[in-house]
Amino acid sequence: MTLTSPTLAVARNTFREAVRDRVLYNLVAFAVILIASAVLFGQISIGIQKIILINLGLSSISVFGLLISIFLGIGLVYKEVDKRSLYALLSKPVRRSQFLIGKFLGLNLTLLVNTFFMSAGLWAALYYLTRGFEHGDRYIFVAIYFILLELSLVTAVCLFFSCFSTPVLSAIFTFLLYVIGTFSSDIRAFGELTKSAPMKVLSTALYYLLPNFSDFQIAGWVSHGRPVAGSLILLNTMYTICYGAVLLIASIVVFSRKDLK
Amino acid sequence: MSRLQASKPSVAALLALLVAALGASAAVQFAIDGRRASYNDAPEVLWIPSGKIMKRLSLGHEGLVADIYWTRAVQYYGGQRRDGKTDFNLLGPLLDITTDLDPYLLIAYKFGAIFLSEPSPRGADDPQQAVRLIRKAIQANPDEWRLWGDLGFIYYQNLHDYPAAAAAYLEGSKNPKAAQWMKVMAAVIHEKGGNRQTSRFLWTEIFQSTEDETVRKNAIEHLQGVHASQDIEEIEKRIAQFRGNHGRPPRSFDELIADGLIGGVPTDPLGIPYRIDANGKVLLDPKSKIRLED
Repeated sequence: MTLTSPTLAVARNTFREAVRDRVLYNLVAFAVILIASAVLFGQISIGIQKIILINLGLSSISVFGLLISIFLGIGLVYKEVDKRSLYALLSKPVRRSQFLIGKFLGLNLTLLVNTFFMSAGLWAALYYLTRGFEHGDRYIFVAIYFILLELSLVTAVCLFFSCFSTPVLSAIFTFLLYVIGTFSSDIRAFGELTKSAPMKVLSTALYYLLPNFSDFQIAGWVSHGRPVAGSLILLNTMYTICYGAVLLIASIVVFSRKDLK
Repeated sequence: MSRLQASKPSVAALLALLVAALGASAAVQFAIDGRRASYNDAPEVLWIPSGKIMKRLSLGHEGLVADIYWTRAVQYYGGQRRDGKTDFNLLGPLLDITTDLDPYLLIAYKFGAIFLSEPSPRGADDPQQAVRLIRKAIQANPDEWRLWGDLGFIYYQNLHDYPAAAAAYLEGSKNPKAAQWMKVMAAVIHEKGGNRQTSRFLWTEIFQSTEDETVRKNAIEHLQGVHASQDIEEIEKRIAQFRGNHGRPPRSFDELIADGLIGGVPTDPLGIPYRIDANGKVLLDPKSKIRLED
């Protein structure tokens, strides 16, 4: 589980392979165009030009990031098995766990670079609109950081499903888990409302068992220049590390028992 | 081979065909536009009337969805006004959904309340719903003292409930960040009830506190209305003087000028001369777009 040179080599390779994908550039370009269009969109409304730009920008980064992480994530393991390149790789001194962690890190690096470009588009559009930045604008960085944390978890979910399922099914499972994860607070609320004790226990268990993606969604909040507490940043980072570790360990367990013959 | 070459159309012919086809499609589209107009009159429908459900469906992007709903509310209001319609049934639900999705979108409360409270045909003529919207805003944004001002304004301007207006301004003035004029407004309204100076001050405050052109224009229209009402009141005082001297109302402004009661033919804030009717009552010219304020 250590970040040895084989892990980093796989990560580097995954990143190189990902950036060669033309679909990636199309998605990033589309996101940047969408962010830029917010400048025009705000003009048909009243008083929300900046708010709409921030909301549309952050939502674009999140949605396109989600698409990129799912479409690249589902093939992380399957493609290597399908193309039989995994056999050549594992014949070298690379452990299966190192392969998986390397894949995970490589895709995270890809998402980091993509998010950087999409964020640059958002900041450029914001500067074009306001000709300067305000004190509250710095919290947009926090929202972008939370999106990255969210995407990292999505990648881990994708990697997990990719270890034992086909790409199409992995994409469906990941997307469904993402949707369920955004409703997790409702699952707990449902448990609190019910009078049935087993149901309460079950909903609480599900709340902690499923990834909670709603933790990362603060775009609406920061669009008003409202501050985000440092404690929330720290806790969300820790949650991503802990839950990401759970998913990675589960992926390693599944993948290490997988019959590759 | 030679037959094939002979039948190959030239580029010029193809371009001519392309232009002809484009022209034909534009002509057909023009014909469709004429026939589709009646279909476009179908009433707008809110497919999902609950903000809470929309919040769930937005998958964490409720800020963006709120912006879209606010834009839709603005477009709906503007569209109804443009088409001369007085029915604003969807305005309230659209504003409710917007503010359910983003409870901090102050602009939606503030201007939404103006759209709701403005008398017909300028708005929905529903000040009670506007009051509910502003109270919802205060609940979600207790630190925003200006919302109390907005609430007081609706009580004052639209409901003419002066004790409630004074109470709203007073409540807002308790916020340490509140402007001094909030306390002054509470005292003035409490003491004098409704008067033109207060209206002028409130519309000027709205004019100065917004950067939005639509709202500024609306405030200017109201200020012009207040100005015209004041003009008319002043001119009618001079007419009363004339009546005292001559025992009859003046037939035109020329008679007032001749008596030295006014310096020239008075005009409204848009530069259109006022008129005098047979009873000596001063009126706006029918061409004037000004609406008088109480």
